[in-house]
Amino acid sequence: MEIDQTVALLKRSMPFQTVPNDVLEAIAKLARYESYARGDVIYHQGDFADDVYIVSSGAVQHTLGIGFQAIHPEKILHSGDVFGWAAVLENQRSRLAKTVCLERTELIRINGEELINLFKASPETGDIVMSRFATMINKEYTLPEEVAGHVPHFTQVPVTVATGLTLTMFRLSQWLKSPKPYLMLTGFGILLATWYFTVEVWKLPRFVDMPGLTEVFKEWFSKDPIYGLSIYTPEYYQHIWVSVRRILIAFFLATVLGVPLGLFLGWSKTFREYVFPVFETLRPIPILAWVPLAILMFQGSETPVIFLTFLASFYATALNTMLGVETIDESYSRAAACLGASKWQTFKEVIVPGAMPFIFTGLQISIGVAWFSLVAGEMVSGEFGLGYVINTSYTMVRYPTIVIGMITLGIVGYVSSALVRVAGDYMMQWRVRELALGGR
Amino acid sequence: MSAVLQQAGKAEKGVLKGAIRIEDVVKIYDPDGAAVMAVDHCSLDIPAGEICMIVGPSGCGKTTLLNAIAGFHSITSGSIYLDDELLCGPGKPMAQPGSDRIVVFQNGALFPWKSNLDNVAFGLMMQGKLGKKEIYDKARSMMADAGLSGTEHNFPGEVSSGLRRRVEIVRALMNEPKVLLFDEPYRALDSLTKSVMHEALLEIYYKNKVTIFFITHDLEEAIFLGHRLVIMTSRPCKPKKIIDVDIPHPRDYSVLTSTRYRQLMDETVELVHEEAKKAFSAGEKEG
Repeated sequence: MEIDQTVALLKRSMPFQTVPNDVLEAIAKLARYESYARGDVIYHQGDFADDVYIVSSGAVQHTLGIGFQAIHPEKILHSGDVFGWAAVLENQRSRLAKTVCLERTELIRINGEELINLFKASPETGDIVMSRFATMINKEYTLPEEVAGHVPHFTQVPVTVATGLTLTMFRLSQWLKSPKPYLMLTGFGILLATWYFTVEVWKLPRFVDMPGLTEVFKEWFSKDPIYGLSIYTPEYYQHIWVSVRRILIAFFLATVLGVPLGLFLGWSKTFREYVFPVFETLRPIPILAWVPLAILMFQGSETPVIFLTFLASFYATALNTMLGVETIDESYSRAAACLGASKWQTFKEVIVPGAMPFIFTGLQISIGVAWFSLVAGEMVSGEFGLGYVINTSYTMVRYPTIVIGMITLGIVGYVSSALVRVAGDYMMQWRVRELALGGR
Repeated sequence: MSAVLQQAGKAEKGVLKGAIRIEDVVKIYDPDGAAVMAVDHCSLDIPAGEICMIVGPSGCGKTTLLNAIAGFHSITSGSIYLDDELLCGPGKPMAQPGSDRIVVFQNGALFPWKSNLDNVAFGLMMQGKLGKKEIYDKARSMMADAGLSGTEHNFPGEVSSGLRRRVEIVRALMNEPKVLLFDEPYRALDSLTKSVMHEALLEIYYKNKVTIFFITHDLEEAIFLGHRLVIMTSRPCKPKKIIDVDIPHPRDYSVLTSTRYRQLMDETVELVHEEAKKAFSAGEKEG
């Protein structure tokens, strides 16, 4: 009988309205009835918050303490109203208000911890009730959301499970839903249309000698290409592979040598005094100026090309890494020193991860300039590779093949820098999540 | 020393550590040969377990003093002692930074690339005094005590700035420091968050009695938190007046409406305003 009464009362109270009957009965079993006389104080501000109360009959005056920023700190509670909700808040176990009975009052009280334990068994219901508690605290008791935010959550928050891959997939699906891919396609469309109209339709002066869109694409996708290179010929892939392999070797060496050099340049003032002036003198020398020396220094046709590619890449990586170290907020190293980290530990735990965003920016630039200098190298010396294809096609008047080589370079270059970006995101989850919260 | 504190000191005699003695400290910066005096013959005694609020206009040299205690900057002359042990002084111009004096920085210095839990565990992990499991158990329970459960595996960038400050204080307390040095830590917070942070800080302080050296230019904050206010002159900086805040601890936000609080506010606001005007007309840069 009493259980039924309590269930009926709970159903009239805002937070418990939508709770299924079996859970309500379990809650009702936790409830205890109590009556108070007029003028009784139920609790004072600052008392330990043990129970949540629901008014069954009568009236209670609820006065929130100052300092909690309530818009209306005074409130009169009647049958069905819930108060004493501090008992379910996390990290807040003291009463925020003083409550006084204005007339003879009947209440039920439910222990906050027992209630929370009960909801742990049915987390979905628990979350609904708690979100209604939060709404009530915010809207009815006019307290800031900060206070309402202290209600507990029972279902797992999926923040911690968003690993690199799921995050990437999520971003991909978001990207497809946004207007971005369609704007991108329009951009490509405009480029191709300009090419097509200027060369083949309007036949503008100077443009008319260029290989046209249809001619290039026919050649590119032809099973029997006129000039010997299309997606069906094995030579095409051999050229791509040779170029990619050179890039991989050069980029790998540049990263392995450039990142540590940059870290030490940024970290040690003495080391920088020795090395940086030399570095700054060599850096502005254009890669093409190195070609004769590269050929003299290294034997064969492979190593000079790799050397040239490496050189450009190396400068970009080392310089950005150094800048990365320099931009780390001094507070981080100071905090590490306060917390007892040695110099070497500070380097490992603060300098390296702190410079990581800049290192990856450097690697993006580095892979770009690697392709740039690779093609320059391949045009001068080399027997294979996309740069070589472009250069020989020019001398042998195979104009459409030049454009095939160029487009292929564009695609492979784009993919390689995208891979560097994905690797960076994977290694810097902290940054990805921070930027994602900032809406980027 | 306030009466309350003397009582507390008696009750836990021998337990409280972290008395700071600043004796006649001078700091002269010498950028481009033009000597600038930042700290001028400053002497100050801070008993163990006191919350000492250093109040002064922006750029007066308060932070220079803090940096000298922490071991980030040298001093020109004078000496600083921690529990009668020389931190810096004649023959030793710069203190060695250490986990007995931990700074809570103005803009926060949680490592953004480490989770909150890893940040809290960082100090003890670096010092290598305890096993990894013990350290992480301690870190978890200290975070729970400070009401930070559930944010262990978030990165600092994912939680609110108020929570970040709390994590940073817990990270410091993990190392059982004698002194916490606060460098205007709540400067960037809005006033609502600030009031929540103040109460949280006091709550943490009542549990772990450490000496607190707290730099601020916010008088409300200073009177609410401190046992004593040390009002600094504008550059070069030295104590202008020391005021006992005789409002008993533990305090909560109802203090702000008490008459005594209002009186103290009236007494100090004039003093601070005077220095602020001097600093303004001298064209000090914010710092």
